[in-house]
Amino acid sequence: MIETILNDKQLFFGILGIIFLLSVFALAPVIAPQNPYNYGPDILNGIGENGHLLGTNKMGQDIFSMIIYGARTSLQVAVISALISGLIGIIIGGIAGFFGGIVDEILSEIINIFMMLPTFFLILLIISLFGNSIYNVMIVIGLTTWPRNAKLMRGEALSLRERTFVKAATAMGENKPQLLFKYIIPNGLFPVIANTTVGMANAILTEASLSFLGLGDPNIISWGQMIYEGKSYLTSAWWIAFFAGIAIVITVTIFYLLGDGLNHVMNPKHSVGKGV
Amino acid sequence: MKRYIGKRVLTGIITILIVFSINFVIINIAPGDPVKTLMGQETDDPELRAALEEKYGLDEPLPVQYLTYLKNALKGDLGISIIYNRPVIKMITEKLSATILLVLTSAILSLLIGTIMGIIAARKEDSIIDLIFSGFSYILNSVPSFWLGLLFIILFSTVLKILPTYGMTNVRTSYTGLAYVWDVIKHMVLPVSTLVLIQIPLYFRIAKSSVLQVINEDFILTLRATGMREKKIFNKYVFKNAILPTVTTFGISLAYLITGVVLIEIVFAWPGTGRLVLTAINQRDYPTLMGIYLIMSVSIAVMMMIIDILYAMLDPRIRY
Amino acid sequence: MGKTVLDLKNFNVTYLNKHQRVHAVKNASFKINKGDSLGLVGESGSGKSTLAMALLRLLPLKTTEISGAANFIGKDLVKLSEKELRKIRWKELSAVFQKSMNSFSPVHKIGTQVEDIYRVHEPGAKKKEIFEKFSYLLELVKLSDRVYSSYPHELSGGMLQRVSIAVSLINDPELLVMDEATTALDVVTQGEILDEVVKMEKELDMTRIMITHDMSVVATSCNKVAVIYAGELMEVGLVKDVLKNPLHPYTKGLLNSFPSLKGKNKELQGISGFLPDLSKKYAGCIFSSRCEHVMDICKKQKPKQVEEEGRLLNCHLYGGGN
Repeated sequence: MIETILNDKQLFFGILGIIFLLSVFALAPVIAPQNPYNYGPDILNGIGENGHLLGTNKMGQDIFSMIIYGARTSLQVAVISALISGLIGIIIGGIAGFFGGIVDEILSEIINIFMMLPTFFLILLIISLFGNSIYNVMIVIGLTTWPRNAKLMRGEALSLRERTFVKAATAMGENKPQLLFKYIIPNGLFPVIANTTVGMANAILTEASLSFLGLGDPNIISWGQMIYEGKSYLTSAWWIAFFAGIAIVITVTIFYLLGDGLNHVMNPKHSVGKGV
Repeated sequence: MKRYIGKRVLTGIITILIVFSINFVIINIAPGDPVKTLMGQETDDPELRAALEEKYGLDEPLPVQYLTYLKNALKGDLGISIIYNRPVIKMITEKLSATILLVLTSAILSLLIGTIMGIIAARKEDSIIDLIFSGFSYILNSVPSFWLGLLFIILFSTVLKILPTYGMTNVRTSYTGLAYVWDVIKHMVLPVSTLVLIQIPLYFRIAKSSVLQVINEDFILTLRATGMREKKIFNKYVFKNAILPTVTTFGISLAYLITGVVLIEIVFAWPGTGRLVLTAINQRDYPTLMGIYLIMSVSIAVMMMIIDILYAMLDPRIRY
Repeated sequence: MGKTVLDLKNFNVTYLNKHQRVHAVKNASFKINKGDSLGLVGESGSGKSTLAMALLRLLPLKTTEISGAANFIGKDLVKLSEKELRKIRWKELSAVFQKSMNSFSPVHKIGTQVEDIYRVHEPGAKKKEIFEKFSYLLELVKLSDRVYSSYPHELSGGMLQRVSIAVSLINDPELLVMDEATTALDVVTQGEILDEVVKMEKELDMTRIMITHDMSVVATSCNKVAVIYAGELMEVGLVKDVLKNPLHPYTKGLLNSFPSLKGKNKELQGISGFLPDLSKKYAGCIFSSRCEHVMDICKKQKPKQVEEEGRLLNCHLYGGGN
């Protein structure tokens, strides 16, 4: 296990990065020098001015602290939307692959069609109609991004149902729902989990994009909100938008690294000792 | 082949119907009543309300309403923007050409640059160039497009004052002819660069991995054994096999660009549909937002259909 | 006997890994004369494919090292430059590989690929000329010339393997290497193809190396056999001698692990033990760890190649020494 992690650079840095992000998430009040939800006395400080490592915004909120707290928002959005999207995808894909036949044909066609819909704009539309609370954002991202998970789960289920242990369980008289939830889904979960990390990265980018359009939750500090706000001060206070963007890039990269690493573990293509 | 095209067109039509249905469902389950959604939350004009109710048959049962809605939408009637009091379809088509200019330019440039980078990286796998390209593409993949655009603005409005950072033309002058074209091109550089940079990873990854996969195929070994020159093997056999996935990628990229361009247009104040989206969001102009969503979805569905059929024609293995 | 086509002397192939050197083929020596068909037999991992790929010079330069001599009609295959090599590729030395399903580009018609391959050596050749030549070869492998305008996916595995054989003969090569060319096919198709190859051989006066793990393939389609184990040749001789009366303990074991060719139902036996680790050096006979007749000397000293009863043997049991 540890050897696998050390051997795959992407997996190694991905896991390291996730540990880092989770520490920031848990220790935000300790790390952040100020509570960013409180407005400071100093208006618009530059980098390093008055003890503000990364400066402040026009309301005196400490940018560094905002970034630390913003990690909480991003991770929440990532995890909750990925859970929703994973759950829907696993159930729909599992049913399609496991039952096969006409059920599979119809569900696959539905999955394909939903993969073709412009997700981002649909999210934008729903959020603007239903209100821009952070919970709406999480739920809507989850509800609109399941098709990829479903496709992966379907593929897994298709191959798993031909495997001996599933056939054995069928012979022993387990009914279909039991088979699906006891054997098919647990054994086909791994590729979906690997894909979910990519989904998390995309969720973070989507939340940031929504915030940038003014559809973020105004009661919460998020990196996207910071960029949105900083947009008006690009020439006078570039640091507001700049560091928030850096935080997004780092976080998203970590999720991608983790996803690629997990995929390598699943299909180790580069086998050693080829030939002879 | 004909059967495949038929099947694919049918899927396309179903996709479009689903898009319309989603829209219809959204109108009906949105907070407040549908008329309020269509009219704008702040306005309350009894005359307008009556007109809308009649037009959409809002006193009829839902299935009838659905059909009325579909009929209107298929005729190209996407409703009226309350804020501007103009048909939504008109407002969108006016802005479409500026958007299409950005989308197509960046789609083609990113296809070329990303694919060439991928091929180079694959042919020199594990070299310095490969490492640089791969790292560059990996990071770019994580960059929010609008933020990259903002970085360009910071850079070009403060340090390098050589390119315009907003709009499509210089409003203080009224160029004509070549000077106008040159002006537009200058204004395009930054938004197009942003979109291209964001798209590069997509093409880079697919080109690199498919070239690597193809050069390890058995038929390449056979061709080498025949004494055929590496150049010919690559240009004819590796290339045609490896480029096929890029066709599909082009579709995915266009689909992304059609919606993603909105953000970039807003960043660079490009006078396309993006600005329309932003004002519609700010003014709660739902008919316009929905109209844009419909048009985007329909164009993506049609485009994906064309790409899939094109792919089927290029790849002899697909015959249904 | 005709003239010598291939004369292999102390031929070695070594794979270079990051951490180790794997000696895949060691000190292989044998001769093939015009008209011969040599079956190179061994278990998987024995180095038989490596030997073939090394002769064809298709192994990656960076990770392999080839030494010794391989005299092929007056040229040493080990020392030829890429340019000289290109001249004899396919024209003198051609090959049929194992995976028939992947031996053609899936997005080009068979005819296009045949034309390109033929024009490597005959750049000016007309389409019609190539088509006529290829149609004749297709006829030899019992295929219709409709294949010419087909895509690979439209043909079955057996058909594709026949096409591969036809393509390999398009330049009338001196030597044809068939690397497990029929392994992936069903038994009936395999038998048919082998019959066709044998017939063709008479018509075209071909010389062939047949790489296989299947003794019955050797029995039906070859006149000479070389048995390879862990990268070393154990026994080389005429098929009629070796199969009827194997001398080397390994050959005996290998023949026992196949159903009797003459229909006598003997009990099948495997050889116990595993292939040795080829990244290590062994002082004694490479087969000694699995040999039933192992003696003290086998563990200490490598046997020299000796000639006995018309064949070459690498075994301490022979050569009179012990």
